[in-house]
Amino acid sequence: MAAASWIQFALALALSPLLFGLISRTKAFFAGRKGQPLFQLYYDLIRLIRKGAVYSLTTTWIFRAGPVIGLASAAAALTLLPFGGNKALFAFPGDLILFATLFGVARFFTVLAALDTGSSFEGMGASRDVLFSALSEPALILGLTAAARESGSLSLSGVLSGVSHFQPEIALVAAALLVVFLCENSRIPFDDPNTHLELTMIHEVMVLDHGGPDLACILYGSALKLWGLGSLIVGLVVPFRAGGPWINTAIGIAGIAALAITVGVIESVMARLRLVRLPQLLAAAGALSALALILAMR
Amino acid sequence: MRGIIEIKMTYSTSFIWLLLIVPAAAGLACLVLPSPKAALRTMLVGILAAAAAGCAVVATAARDGRLFAASGWLFVDGLSAFHLAVMLIVVSLSTGYAWIYFGEELRSGRLALKQARQFSGLWCGTMSAMSLVLVSNNLGIMWVGIEATTLLTAFLICVHVTRESLEAMWKYILICSVGVAFAFMGTLLAAASAQGVGIEPSEILLWTNLRSHALSLNPMLVKASFIFLLVGYGTKAGLAPMHNWLPDAHSQAPAPVSALFSGFMLSAALYCVMRFVPIAEAATGDAGWALNLLAGFGLLSIGVAASFILFQKNVKRFLAYSSMEHLGIIALGIGLGGFGTFAALFHTLNHSLGKTVSFFSAGRLGQMSGSHEMARLSGSVKRSPLWGLGLFSGILALIGAAPFALFMSEFQVLKAAMDRGSVWMTVLYLTGLAVVFIGALGHAISLAWGKPETELDPVKANGLERLLVLVPLCALLLLGLWMPGSLHALLNDAAEIVGSAVTKAPDAGRP
Amino acid sequence: MHDWIELGMIALVLADVSLLGLSLLSTCIRVVAFQGILLGLFAVAAQFRALSPRLFAIAAVSVVLKGLIYPWLLRRAVKEAGVQREIEPFIGYIPSILAGIAMLGVSIWIGGRLPLMKGQDLPLVVPAALMTMMTGLFLIVARKKALNQCLGYLVFENGIYAFGVAAVGEIPALVELGILLDAFVAVLVMGVAMYHINREFDHLDADRLSSLKG
Repeated sequence: MAAASWIQFALALALSPLLFGLISRTKAFFAGRKGQPLFQLYYDLIRLIRKGAVYSLTTTWIFRAGPVIGLASAAAALTLLPFGGNKALFAFPGDLILFATLFGVARFFTVLAALDTGSSFEGMGASRDVLFSALSEPALILGLTAAARESGSLSLSGVLSGVSHFQPEIALVAAALLVVFLCENSRIPFDDPNTHLELTMIHEVMVLDHGGPDLACILYGSALKLWGLGSLIVGLVVPFRAGGPWINTAIGIAGIAALAITVGVIESVMARLRLVRLPQLLAAAGALSALALILAMR
Repeated sequence: MRGIIEIKMTYSTSFIWLLLIVPAAAGLACLVLPSPKAALRTMLVGILAAAAAGCAVVATAARDGRLFAASGWLFVDGLSAFHLAVMLIVVSLSTGYAWIYFGEELRSGRLALKQARQFSGLWCGTMSAMSLVLVSNNLGIMWVGIEATTLLTAFLICVHVTRESLEAMWKYILICSVGVAFAFMGTLLAAASAQGVGIEPSEILLWTNLRSHALSLNPMLVKASFIFLLVGYGTKAGLAPMHNWLPDAHSQAPAPVSALFSGFMLSAALYCVMRFVPIAEAATGDAGWALNLLAGFGLLSIGVAASFILFQKNVKRFLAYSSMEHLGIIALGIGLGGFGTFAALFHTLNHSLGKTVSFFSAGRLGQMSGSHEMARLSGSVKRSPLWGLGLFSGILALIGAAPFALFMSEFQVLKAAMDRGSVWMTVLYLTGLAVVFIGALGHAISLAWGKPETELDPVKANGLERLLVLVPLCALLLLGLWMPGSLHALLNDAAEIVGSAVTKAPDAGRP
Repeated sequence: MHDWIELGMIALVLADVSLLGLSLLSTCIRVVAFQGILLGLFAVAAQFRALSPRLFAIAAVSVVLKGLIYPWLLRRAVKEAGVQREIEPFIGYIPSILAGIAMLGVSIWIGGRLPLMKGQDLPLVVPAALMTMMTGLFLIVARKKALNQCLGYLVFENGIYAFGVAAVGEIPALVELGILLDAFVAVLVMGVAMYHINREFDHLDADRLSSLKG
């Protein structure tokens, strides 16, 4: 069993960049283009690692530490996450708080690194990012609490194996988590990862000054984050009752691929919302989570 | 022998139906008549015909005690007969007055055909709806009647569409609709409290059934129900703190409508509360829970009204706050229980008479000078001795000056409060009355004999106008000095129904 | 059937929350219409053991009224007044949603204490009805536009309807029709009132109707 967990962790590390490829291929399909190769992010990562990095004289060690810590905490979060109905590498009561916290740590250091550059654009992006995360984290925590209450377990592995998937509460949590997922991963309607206008960027503007291996860390870290939150949603929605761990793993990968395609569809049919509307959307997600919690507490 | 009784029954039941149908039919006819005069005349005839039928119903009910129709869905007992009598008096007087008031507007060309149709049609409809409230045994239908009066009278407020009247109407319709919806919630809760006590589901809302099963109702649901009903119907009755619509609607509506509002519509809403009082009291073990709640709302209304009366500049707003005060007194009287119930019911009649005549006079005086501001109306006795003196004596009666009947009933409420030995209630009640007395007397004196703003020619009054002022005032004087035996019996009967939880055990429901 | 009713009640609660958070009037009208249709179905589903033509008839009337006629009337009012959305309510949209969550908590608490619907395994019906009523009241108090207040009234009525179906079950048809008729006339009267207000004032802001005081 431990071996299965290790292999799943390795799968996550290996396959997560593929999700970006899937999303952009879906978007390209809707736009009638051929689109970039599925493995584009792998090529990018390899190219970036080979390069050197340039550091501004005004920056300190924080600027260099940011991407590394971000990648490390995202990877650490993945070790807590069960996949495909199997147990996670590490599971203990309360690890769902740690799971949420690790993403918080990653964000904290990304923001610090952005502020460290002293650029006004990066500061603006940082402030927006913090605003949205301040609103999305309650939704995440409340949703996880509701799921924990529903399954009677305080560990992510227990939650995902313990919930009954057709409860309305779980559907509410999944809906809320989907919004959180889009927000945390800076997807449309919150942020447009392809934008090139600093004024409208949120996440992308924070990493403008990073290059080479640092940028590779950031890109890889965000891929891991996408995989992590995505497989959380998949774990809540898809019932892994098929049998052996390998079939379950296959189902899980199919589910997360489907999620990536869904994101691609959402990005194709929706435009970015205005900045002032975004807090409302996040508040609605929080409301859904809170509703689920109230219903679960009943 | 049996046959004779049955014939009598069908006679009186057909009168109940007439009371409901005649005004409705007249109202519909008014909507299509070709001239304003004809519409107003049809209204007058229709209302008076219905009033005659109503008198027959009241007389029969007063003699026989209870009267059922439509397989128990319609019924008249002492309480509804008494309120029916008050309603008939108020409506007949107000209709006569509306005839004069709008006749004057017709002469001065301020009333178009559309408005005349609208007014007379809705007016007749309102009478029908109020009768429905009083004669229905089914609490759901009673609610439908109250809601119907709200909706029908909404457009009576803005017969003349002005900004102020629209504002008043919007507040009225929104606040009262929501309030009355609360009352419906209360009705539902009352029905829910009777689940499983052995009443047929289709007859669960009949008052007689709930009353006879009151002891076995679920006390908690009855309590919840009574709170909702009190808030809901209390909104319509203008009890504080749900009274916000009341001064606006009264001040903006044409005077006949204000008179009807104050004279009876408020009392009709309070009547609905009275229906639930004995049920709630019996179900909660006669501990005075519902009565105390009612008395609290009553005292609060008296207090709020008293503090607002002092600063009024508009005579109709002033009268509206006075209505609020009097409805508070009635609620307090019912809440005191025992003798207070009798006093409160007597006060209902007195207040309706006094308020009608005051609104009549205020309306006509306002019509003459084109404003209801008290400053513009001062010295009105010179302008029109009849209406000026009518307003003065009306206010005098309303503040409880002896020997008008309101003095008697207010005194009786005071006695009930003292009998109960509640010092703070007595003190609050007396303080409220004193404040109103002083404040209103100041207003009344300057209205009657103050220095007129502009000298205008005196206006003569015709016979019908004299009648409309003198009849209610004389009745008030008479009732203050001597109460006819039949009225006393009817009041006793009605008081026994409201307060029967205190005095005697519930009797069987259906005949 | 119980699961379906529970699901419907959750949908009702979600509709309430979305009404608290939505500013576009036409969407709000659609949500209220959805609620009305849901309640018509609920009235049938709640009595599924004893279906009768009477039940279907009343449910049909209420669905047609709440799902088709009210929205149509309101949409006309929206078009006439030319208002798209409410920009600045008394209580903002996010605080409104938070208040909605609080209201749900309170309703579940009250619903658990009221001795209603004993013996039926439907724990969510009474709380959802109470929540809908509170949402309606909240909308009336917290919004400025007359149209929103009218919508709030409808939501309030919906809540009472749901409560009635849940708590009493069988009301005589005549009473029920009278109630539906009254609500219909209320909406009609409010619609005409709004028409006049809009014509006279050139706006539908109830908070600016404030010339009568004291």
